[in-house]
Amino acid sequence: MTRPVRPIRARMLLAVWAGKLTGALLRLAGRAGTHVPGKVALAVYPGLMSAIPLPPRVVVVTGTNGKTTTTNILADALHNLGVRVGSNRAGSNLREGIIATLMDGLTVLGRSTIDTAILEMDERSARLVLPGLRPDVLVCTNLTRDSIKRNAHPEYIAWIVSSALSDDTTLVLNADDLITARLGTDANRRVFFGVDALGDESRTPHGVAIDVSICPICDHTLVWDVWRFNHIGKVTCPSCGFRSPQADVRALSVDIASGTMDLAMGDTTTTLPLVNDNIVNIYNEVAVAAALTVLGVAVEDIAAQLASLKPPVTRFADETISGVRILRLLTKGLVGVACSRAFEHIPTIPGRKVVLMAIDEASERVTEVENTAWIYDADYEYLADPTIAQIFVGGIRRHDHALRLAIAGVDPTKIVLVESETGAADLVSLDNVDAVFNLHSVHNALISGNPVQDRLRERLLEKVR
Amino acid sequence: MTVVIEMLFPEIANLHGDNSNIDYLAQSLGDVRIYRTGLNETPRFVSERVDLVYLGPMTESGQIKAIDRLTPHGSRIAELIDSGTHFLFTHNAMEVLGNRISNAEMNYDVPGLGIFDFTTTVNMFGRFTGKVMGTIDELPHAIVGYKSQFSMVSNAPNVAGFLTAERGIGRNRSTNVEGIRVNNFIGTSLIGPLLVMNPYFTESLLSSIDPTREPTLALRELAVAAYDARVRDFNDAARWSQAELLVT
Repeated sequence: MTRPVRPIRARMLLAVWAGKLTGALLRLAGRAGTHVPGKVALAVYPGLMSAIPLPPRVVVVTGTNGKTTTTNILADALHNLGVRVGSNRAGSNLREGIIATLMDGLTVLGRSTIDTAILEMDERSARLVLPGLRPDVLVCTNLTRDSIKRNAHPEYIAWIVSSALSDDTTLVLNADDLITARLGTDANRRVFFGVDALGDESRTPHGVAIDVSICPICDHTLVWDVWRFNHIGKVTCPSCGFRSPQADVRALSVDIASGTMDLAMGDTTTTLPLVNDNIVNIYNEVAVAAALTVLGVAVEDIAAQLASLKPPVTRFADETISGVRILRLLTKGLVGVACSRAFEHIPTIPGRKVVLMAIDEASERVTEVENTAWIYDADYEYLADPTIAQIFVGGIRRHDHALRLAIAGVDPTKIVLVESETGAADLVSLDNVDAVFNLHSVHNALISGNPVQDRLRERLLEKVR
Repeated sequence: MTVVIEMLFPEIANLHGDNSNIDYLAQSLGDVRIYRTGLNETPRFVSERVDLVYLGPMTESGQIKAIDRLTPHGSRIAELIDSGTHFLFTHNAMEVLGNRISNAEMNYDVPGLGIFDFTTTVNMFGRFTGKVMGTIDELPHAIVGYKSQFSMVSNAPNVAGFLTAERGIGRNRSTNVEGIRVNNFIGTSLIGPLLVMNPYFTESLLSSIDPTREPTLALRELAVAAYDARVRDFNDAARWSQAELLVT
């Protein structure tokens, strides 16, 4: 897998020098400089993506969820195998960040110092990145609903990615996501990864955000052989026989208790540790194995790299004080699907529970009014569970969340409205409670998530004293 | 009376949480029968009494499928609109009833059912997002909602609007006439969902669908509190950007 060497041209060099100089100045000023150097270089030469010298291999990782995890594990694995890797793991995943990473891998004379670029790409940036970059490999972890405002719907994102792909890019795709699995054209080589049926899984989809229900060939209603979440699972069309693609690299079984999975790569099956115990990250780990296969890494080396991953970590901060668990869940406001995954987890924790919820996005508080339609694109129905004794909703959109909870079937007498995002930490009774959930969003993690967590800790420690 | 609601093509018309319009309406009606008619089924409204026909937001390819399935029943839909059957078509659903939908980026230009005299232009790289606050004749309370869409509908001077936007845009950025209101047909590009976000309007709709009963809005106190908070915010000019207002 080798690509033609791009010629060194004066304008390209000028842009790279401008970008590198900007990066150096930013670092001197103590800033990370992962986006601005690329922006400066692109201002000097807007066509830089098509002209910048590339390393021998370029891999792009994209998808709605898991692209950072997948990029990091992939880059680490290759680095540990002695490959000189350039990656934007610490920086921007937009066009500017990708350019900045590629510039970092060049000498001042424009010669590449790395063997392989592993580039995380925001999926909406595909049309600005892929036509010029023409990566050797594109890994897509999944495409599910995201922000209504920015991402519209996953079919739109798939169209953006597909229409920007070149025929010579090998696609590493999630076989269990029919939107992702159909990226590209028949001209693209496709390698699929997936997770086999895991025993007690559902065959009946539920929830508000199911984006694949009909056969892409004949429009007939699909039958789910395995349904996991949203449109992730395995389907068959009873009318025309269409099926989800067979995965080339697949988890045959997963054992959460022992933190392992059996992974089949070609004729070899290996037992490997799980990097994380939730299904999205299990897919990510299998995606890494598939990408390494495509990059020509030997099966035994892939197994050795994945076997050296850190032991499973829980996806949420979880501590117990005075017999009460405090579980902190990042619940990404504005993205219904992400909220559904957090809500789904709550009833699975044993005992009597209370939930403190402040999941509005702080970015829209002052000068806008948040489009709250996403609240109805999330499955609040998971919270209508008899083991949840009370739900405190705080923040500017508390009335909207309260109404949504009640429509979802939560008894209105269990819903407590609190004006501030942090006030519930003082109001909630911690007697006769087994678990308290602290749900916050991305932008208010520091200003609400942290103080709520601290206050709950403080109150429980007072109880101990 | 048992109110009969037909949701058209829920397997493809389910974006943006808008099907909660029907969940909430059903909770308010109590005595209700909901038919969820799939793409490959004949709509109930063709041969049975249906009190409300609902079509929700779709992808661009979904719109084309909806046009394909509804075209054979175009004259029946027109007849039901004329005779006063209730329809609620939200977001891009009403666009299937216009003359054409053009999408240059996706390279198609397809005829719609032609029931209403307007055209739709889809711009895949020009998604419009914004708020709308407007009035309708029968209510003293403002209608509020959100727009998040690739498409704009032409001005269509011969087709009555659903509301007049006092803030935000209408069918496109040059008019404050939003949506369509012909008899009991309501088409609007507002999401939210509309009926959840506008309790007073939903009460009036309940009365209109079933005049034999006093309207009982489910979870009224919570719904009105959320509405009041939103109207307060929408009345704050500082919360509106130039990009979501009419081009003057």
